Amino acid sequence: MSEADADMASQGSDPDDEGLSDSSYQDYSDEDINDYYNYGPDDMEQDDRGQIFDPEAFEYFLFNKEEACQFLDERVAELTQTIQFSPQVSHTIGKVLLQAHQWVLTEVMERFREDSVQLMVDCRILPPPSRAKQVEPPPKQCPVCLQAQEEKDLLSLACNHKFCTDCWQRYFQVQVEDGVATGVECMWSDCRLITTEDFALSILKNSPVTLRRYQQFAFNDYIKGHYQLRWCPGPDCDVIYMAPQPLGRKVQCKKCKTCCCFRCLKDYHVPADCPTIESWLRKCADDSETANYISAHTKDCPKCNICIEKNGGCNHMQCFQCRYDFCWMCLGDWKTHGSEYYECSRYKENPNIANESAQAQAREALKKYLFYFERWENHQKSLKLEEQTFQRIQHRIKEKVMNNMGTWIDWQYLLDAANLLHKCRYTLEYTYPYAYYQEGGPRKKLFEYQQAQLEAEIENLSWKIERAEQTDRGDLENQMDITEKRRLTLLRDFSES
Amino acid sequence: MMASLPRRIIKETQRLTHEPVPGISAIPDEQNARYFHVDVMGPSESPFEGGTFKLELFLPEDYPMAPPKVRFMTKIYHPNIDKLGRICLDILKDKWSPALQIRTVLLSIQALLSAPNPDDPLANDVAEQWKVNESHAIETAKAWTRLYAMKS
Ligand SMILES: [Zn+2]
Ligand SMILES: [Zn+2]
Ligand SMILES: [Zn+2]
Ligand SMILES: [Zn+2]
Ligand SMILES: [Zn+2]
Ligand SMILES: [Zn+2]
Repeated sequence: MSEADADMASQGSDPDDEGLSDSSYQDYSDEDINDYYNYGPDDMEQDDRGQIFDPEAFEYFLFNKEEACQFLDERVAELTQTIQFSPQVSHTIGKVLLQAHQWVLTEVMERFREDSVQLMVDCRILPPPSRAKQVEPPPKQCPVCLQAQEEKDLLSLACNHKFCTDCWQRYFQVQVEDGVATGVECMWSDCRLITTEDFALSILKNSPVTLRRYQQFAFNDYIKGHYQLRWCPGPDCDVIYMAPQPLGRKVQCKKCKTCCCFRCLKDYHVPADCPTIESWLRKCADDSETANYISAHTKDCPKCNICIEKNGGCNHMQCFQCRYDFCWMCLGDWKTHGSEYYECSRYKENPNIANESAQAQAREALKKYLFYFERWENHQKSLKLEEQTFQRIQHRIKEKVMNNMGTWIDWQYLLDAANLLHKCRYTLEYTYPYAYYQEGGPRKKLFEYQQAQLEAEIENLSWKIERAEQTDRGDLENQMDITEKRRLTLLRDFSES
Repeated sequence: MMASLPRRIIKETQRLTHEPVPGISAIPDEQNARYFHVDVMGPSESPFEGGTFKLELFLPEDYPMAPPKVRFMTKIYHPNIDKLGRICLDILKDKWSPALQIRTVLLSIQALLSAPNPDDPLANDVAEQWKVNESHAIETAKAWTRLYAMKS
C-alpha cells in the first residue's frame, strides 16, 4: 500500500529492513495519487527554464535503526582515528565526548587539541584534578552493601570510587528501569563521573534483558543528542531523519507519511522560523479562550444581510441572494481585492500607541493578535474545506472516466491544481505568525505586499477550482503558474537561509 | 522477617542504635525493620529549637539504589516542608546516591531545619512569607513549634 512497502518488496531484503537508505526526498516517482502536499522541486523546472534557486530545497535522508547505528559508529571512528596522540581515546569514550557536544565532530577535535585533559574533565570521564589527587586507602568493603570484598572484586571509574559488581549491577538495573542510560553516574554521592557504554557492558554481561534495554535507551539518547538526527514524530514510527544541514525545512517520512519541520518537528512552517512558530503556538494555546468567539461558520451578507454559511475554502464569497461579491475575512467588496490591495491582510497599527494609556496599549495588543489569529485560523479552516473539494474532484473525475469522458491522464491537471492550492494556502497560513512577529519598516512593507499578492492569487485559484467544470484548462494552469510563482517569490525573499 | 533483610540495612540499623547521631533518634519498627520511627530535635538557634519533630522513614525494596522515603509527622512551618510533611531535599530525589545512608539523610534534614531555603520551596505560601517578611515567618515557625512540637 505505502511506498515504504513497495520499496521493501522491490529490494527483496530482510523484512525488518525498511530499505530507506537510498530514499531522499527527491524521489517522488510513484507518487500516491491521494498524497497531498507533495510537490517536489522538479515542478519548478517546468515553470522556469535554466537555473533557479529553490527556497525550499533541503537535503535529507531517512535511516532505519541499523543505518543510524552505522552512521554514529562512523562518526566515532572518524574522531578516534583523527586524534591518535596521547591520551588515546577509545571508541566508548569517543561516544561520550561526541554526545556531550551534540556530535559536532569539529568542536570535539578542537577542544581536544586545546586541552585534552580539561575536555575529559568537562565530559565527566576524568575527575577534576583537585579530586584526583586525594589518595584514599583501598576500602576493605563495598560502601553500598557494606560487605567485605577483595580488592579485585571492586570496580570503579577513573575516580577510584570502588563498589562491588553486585551493587553496580543492581544500580544499573534501577537506573535503566528509570530510562537512564548514557547518563548513569558513579554511585558515590557528589561524584559526577559518568559510566561509559563499555563499563555498562561489562557490568550487565550476565543480565541480557537489562543490557538490551540499556542499549535501546543509549541509542535513543544518541539520536536525540545528535544535531543532524531526529526521530520521526509519527506515531510508533522508528524512522530516523538525517540532514547534513539541520535547518527548519520540510521533511516527510516515507513509512508513516508524517510531514514536519526537520529542526523542531512541528508542522512545517515557512516562512516563519522555528522560534517564531513556537512562540506563536504557545500564544494561541494561552489565549484560546479569548480567541474562541471569532470562530464563525456563518456571517451576514454585507449588502442584503442574509445569513451565509461558508462551505468551501475560497474566501471570495458570492451571496446566493443578491449576488454581491465580498471577502469572507474583512467583508469588503471583492472588486477591491486586487493583487495590489492589501488592506485586508495587513494590520494597521495605531501610530500613536506609545503615548496611550497602558489599558489602551493592552487593548491594541489584543486587537493585533486577534487580527492575525483570525486570518491564520481562517486559512486553516479553508485548508480543511478545500480537502473536501479535493475529494469531490476525485469523485467527479472517477465518474467522467467511467463514462468514457477522457482518461485519468486528461483530468490529472485538476488534481495537480488542488494539490498546488493546498501547498500555497498552507504557506499563506504560516505568513500570518511571521507577520505578527515581524518588526515594522520597509522589509515588513515588502512582505505585506507579497503576502497580499499571494493571497489574492490563491483565492482566484480556489475560485476557479471550485468551478472547475466551467473553467478552461489553460486558464486554470495559468493561474496555477502565477500562484506558485508568488509563493516562491515570497519564500525566496523571506524564509531563513 | 529480619532474616531476609539485606546486610546493609542490618549494619546501618546497628550503627544507628550504638552510635546515634546527636539530636536524632531512629528506631526500627517492631513489625517492619524497613520502617523507622524518627525523632529530630529542633537545632539550637533555629526557630525550631526546643521542639521534637516526629518523622517516618521507610526503606523501599530498591534501597539503597533508591532513596528512603521520609516524611514529617509533626506539623512544622518551614518553606521546604509542605502540609503533608513532604520534604524538598535534593538527596531524597535526583541527588540520591547509593553510597549515602539513613544517617546522612537525617543529618541533612537537621541541617535543613537550621537553614531553610525559600528559593527552592515546596510550601509556596510559607516560602513567600519567608521572603517577604522573614522575622514574621520566624515568629510563626516558633509559635508552631511550641504548639505542635513541645510536650505540654
Ligand atoms: Zn556492594
Ligand atoms: Zn566516582
Ligand atoms: Zn515516520
Ligand atoms: Zn521548525
Ligand atoms: Zn446578499
Ligand atoms: Zn478581505
